[in-house]
Amino acid sequence: MSDLLGLVWAGIVSGSLYAMGAIGIVLIYKSSNVVNFAHGNLAGLAAFLVFGFTAGTFASIPWVAAVLVTLVIMVAAMALSYFLIAPLVFKSDLTSTIATLGVGLVVQGITQLMFGSNVVSLDLPLPKWRAQLGPLQITSYDLAVLGVTALAVGLLYLLIERTRIGIAFRAVSQNPFASRVCGLNLRGVHVFSWVVAGLLGVAASLLIVPTTFLSSTSVASFMLQAFAAAVVGGFSSLPGAVVGGIFIGVLMNLLSFYVSAEFNNTYVLVTILLVLNAFPKGVLSIRGGARV
Amino acid sequence: MSSLPIPPHAASAASADPQAPQAASLAEGRQRLRRLASVLGLLVLVLLPLISGGGYWTFTLGVCFANAIAIISVSFLVRYGGEVSIGHGVFVAAGAYTVAIVEKYLGLSLLASLPLAALVGGLLGMVFAFPSRHLSGIYLAVATMALALALPELLLHFSAVSGGYEGLYVKLDALPGMAKNLQRYYLPLVGLVVVALLLRQFRRSRQAMALLLIRTSAHAAESFGVRRSWARLSCMALSAAIAAIGGALLAFSSSTVSPNSFTLWTSIFLLVGSVVSLHSMSVAGSLVGGVFLTLMPLLLAGAGDWIPILYGTALLAVVLGVNALPAKLRARLEGGHA
Repeated sequence: MSDLLGLVWAGIVSGSLYAMGAIGIVLIYKSSNVVNFAHGNLAGLAAFLVFGFTAGTFASIPWVAAVLVTLVIMVAAMALSYFLIAPLVFKSDLTSTIATLGVGLVVQGITQLMFGSNVVSLDLPLPKWRAQLGPLQITSYDLAVLGVTALAVGLLYLLIERTRIGIAFRAVSQNPFASRVCGLNLRGVHVFSWVVAGLLGVAASLLIVPTTFLSSTSVASFMLQAFAAAVVGGFSSLPGAVVGGIFIGVLMNLLSFYVSAEFNNTYVLVTILLVLNAFPKGVLSIRGGARV
Repeated sequence: MSSLPIPPHAASAASADPQAPQAASLAEGRQRLRRLASVLGLLVLVLLPLISGGGYWTFTLGVCFANAIAIISVSFLVRYGGEVSIGHGVFVAAGAYTVAIVEKYLGLSLLASLPLAALVGGLLGMVFAFPSRHLSGIYLAVATMALALALPELLLHFSAVSGGYEGLYVKLDALPGMAKNLQRYYLPLVGLVVVALLLRQFRRSRQAMALLLIRTSAHAAESFGVRRSWARLSCMALSAAIAAIGGALLAFSSSTVSPNSFTLWTSIFLLVGSVVSLHSMSVAGSLVGGVFLTLMPLLLAGAGDWIPILYGTALLAVVLGVNALPAKLRARLEGGHA
């Protein structure tokens, strides 16, 4: 029983990171109807940039400064990625989705070129603190992850519910044509969602790195869980992405402990297939009609 | 490589054959020219190993042909299904491993295992398309991505059958009495030509019409009695079967299969090849993709990290370049709707 509680707790922690990745994917899909397959590669590059700025590849500046610089670079990178595929976005969802794979390949190549394909370790500057709460081991890392996720989701909620750009985002995701008739700038909303998604991706990838190692492919494969979380949530529901992320996190943890740890991607695959069969519209079922 | 005949437009236009009979004489002349070019091109490909003596380039070209078949399978899904798969490497692997396993346990050669490989691939494709049959294509894309990532895990776990990291060898002769290196060249070539010809026939069939109707208007198709879920399943099954044929020939011409050659990257590169060939389903068009996929890594062997950048740039350049063309020219390049 204590095993189970601990596993569920750890699953919630990693699940909230998947949720942050999934929210980014869903944000981009809702506004521009593009599935951004470059998401994992871009987030992975961000983690490497922080590594490069703190460990002396480019500079040896304090961690906070490195993160700030990386965030600025990522805003630029996300906007650039969007503008690269911008000519395709209104013409064909399929072609623009294929184009994001091209962006992903380029970003992956840049990461390998700058940092090699070796495994590096990147730690967070967190105080070494842990507490025992009944059967649960709670570390400062867990609290940091949950805190950052709660903060990010809360800010995003306020942004979408309370600001003008948030209202514009909701309008565009409901009906792009009508929003355009009302004089909304669709490109502006698209760039907004890409940049916000990128920032969430940076947060998620920085926080996931201490649990695994940082290599040029590790963050990209972490994004498979984020995609699965988005599918579980119905792909165009932001609350669904959070629920899906935590669901995937807990489920993967339980399966790899009780069954076997060598099939992680297979579990994700089977989960995706089962969820698609049982809940084709996502577990929260807020999805609109299927796009034909 | 300059001896490879790649007529730039004949390649992709060939897949758009049944066009309205306007400007008949001009079109007829052009078609005759095109046919002549393709016959000449094929002749060059057939004679090539006899002239060059069957060395390293023959081997590489054999792999090119097999890759071209795999690329056709991705193009098929894009054109007839309007969907993108980033897991087609799995179906290629299914074909390749079928050949290797049939040889290992039954001692039968490629000729016996090729139909089986196509069947296995088709069934696998159907199974994976089934859960997302009613849903939009993004789900298929994500499911295939998971499939591609899961495959190496499964291959390594069932290493008693799959040979683990080292993989399996394909050694048996398919055509006794012919030099091995020539077999590895001619069988993929024949396979590619047969697949391309069959697809040309398929373009005129009822099934193809139904698939294209679904792409154009799902509502119209449903009212004609064509079910969307059936279209999705059959399209995926056909595409996966083609991919498995490509995989079977790939295993034969490279004489080995291993998990390393079927990662997520393999699948993404197949999609890159399909884009670079403009989703063409003709011999020449798909060979552009096949040559691109097979030769680039060889040419850039010293600069491994540049390969993803190069592939990504090529994909973006082709997609954006085609998009920037005037609409009329674009329609011709893409060979109409299918």
